[in-house]
Amino acid sequence: MFEVSDIVAAYGKIEALKGVSLKVESGRITCLLGPNGAGKTTLMMTIAGILQPRRGSIRLEGAELAGLSPARIVSRGVALVPENRLVFPEMSVRENLLAGAYQRRDRAGIDSDIERMYARFPRLKERRDQMAGTLSGGEQQMLAVARALMSRPRLLLMDEPSLGLAPLIVAEIFDIIAELNRDGTTIFLVEQNAHMALKVAHQFFLMEQGRITFSGTPGQLAEDEVIQRAYLGTRRAVG
Amino acid sequence: MVDLVQNTIDGLMIGSSYGLLALGFTLIFGVMRRLNLSYGPSVMIGGYLGTVVYLQFGAGPLTVAAAVVVGAAVAGIYVERLCFAPMKAGAAIASMVSSFAIWMQLEQAAILVLPRHTYAFPPLATGAPIELGPFAIRVDHLVMLGSALGLAAAVQLVLYRTRFGLALRAIIGNPVAAHLVGVDVRMVMPLAFAGASAIGGVAGFLVLAVDQQITPMFGMWATLKGLIAMMIGGLGSVPGAVLGGLLLGVIEAQSQWYFGPQIRDLVAYFVLFAFLAIRPRGLVGSMSEASTQKA
Ligand SMILES: Nc1ncnc2c1ncn2[C@@H]1O[C@H](COP(=O)(O)OP(=O)(O)OP(=O)(O)O)[C@@H](O)[C@H]1O
Ligand SMILES: [Mg+2]
Repeated sequence: MFEVSDIVAAYGKIEALKGVSLKVESGRITCLLGPNGAGKTTLMMTIAGILQPRRGSIRLEGAELAGLSPARIVSRGVALVPENRLVFPEMSVRENLLAGAYQRRDRAGIDSDIERMYARFPRLKERRDQMAGTLSGGEQQMLAVARALMSRPRLLLMDEPSLGLAPLIVAEIFDIIAELNRDGTTIFLVEQNAHMALKVAHQFFLMEQGRITFSGTPGQLAEDEVIQRAYLGTRRAVG
Repeated sequence: MVDLVQNTIDGLMIGSSYGLLALGFTLIFGVMRRLNLSYGPSVMIGGYLGTVVYLQFGAGPLTVAAAVVVGAAVAGIYVERLCFAPMKAGAAIASMVSSFAIWMQLEQAAILVLPRHTYAFPPLATGAPIELGPFAIRVDHLVMLGSALGLAAAVQLVLYRTRFGLALRAIIGNPVAAHLVGVDVRMVMPLAFAGASAIGGVAGFLVLAVDQQITPMFGMWATLKGLIAMMIGGLGSVPGAVLGGLLLGVIEAQSQWYFGPQIRDLVAYFVLFAFLAIRPRGLVGSMSEASTQKA
């Protein structure tokens, strides 16, 4: 189980997270929805250790992650597929995967994991020696996912994996998410595409203006209402 | 024709040291996304340490070389701790201005220790030049070219064949993503800074040994040559840095021969300007225009 309690994070004086608490069940897909600027990316970056929280705790299986360096957090089993993918543009596909395994020392295991990634993402195999910066958006997203998996995470965080991708590619990405989860990976996903997210998620949270405003299971709230809130925010939806 | 070829040979030899200077510079720029104006002065501090070791103990060239490299690396770490580590992300101007302040400080420190304007520096290799038909090659120039190319090849190997190199390239490619894959960026950065300054130290030693003298102006000289060669070659590229240095050396040698030493520097600045205006990526700029603009 992964648990965030009362996290406060700020950029200078502006508090982007104002006491966020949520739970992610092991083996599940949990989705975080919310309008632009709600603080979703800030939460992901804080969990990954890129931003230090002002307050609060982040626990994976009971062990505290808040305050650790990003490298330590990766070695504890948390990997983030960041918003906008952030592949290493001037490394080949293969080197990006190697970089994903930076914290690992088991050469043989790394090699066999790279082969597993090629089996799961055949297009990456075709392009293994191509510079990542020259891949299409969808291919870069696959690479970003594969790179994160190379650290063998217990918890996979994904920040808007469907951003800017064509509907067919989005469907493919969500198939992969479901498949990874079936293989046992716990997934915590930020999405703008509420329709797709609610199809795969077991549990979801709504975030607005730095706070969690709703949590439940898909079906508990009509999809229209979720979408209404996720895109427009409650205040405007009500008022 | 003989002159033209001889100038080219001399230019390539001298240019190899520019290439090394550019190589250290480009590594710091790539990793930090910041211009380190104190790069040359760090090398100069190394040079002064070498001079002290030479004057005080009569040390041989290898010991002096080691002193220069260590001195430059230590000065590099000092600059990193003061100008780069404490600066917030995005504070590029603050870093650059403070590296300028440290430049002045390092120069003053050198003058305090050795107050005369010029000091002798031990020669690298004496002996008659090697004759090749109508052409002559100085032995110390040959050592310079050999060490420069060897070191550049070693840097390329480290970058592309080692875990440390992978970490460096990850930081150069995308610092946030480097954090996310588990690179310990706070550890790697000062090491990269020290290594890059040490590379500058090797270049500095080679140049000083050929000139057989050192002045406090050497810091500015090293920053300028490194900067021009780096920009000609293309930011962030190892082969680019070396090629940029070689090209700058040849251009300087030719213009010095045909137009005299004053015009030589004018030509060098003009070539830099021409590259910036017409081909800002440089010869082999590996960094995309977008990432240079972001920096
Ligand atoms: N680097 C930054 N400096 C200052 N403020 C920031 C920074 N990054 C984000 N913010 C602010 O923090 C708030 C939350 O931003 P965040 O990126 O976390 O939102 P988000 O939910 O991911 O939005 P989106 O759906 O658009 O990706 C916003 O008000 C944003 O303007
Ligand atoms: Mg976001």
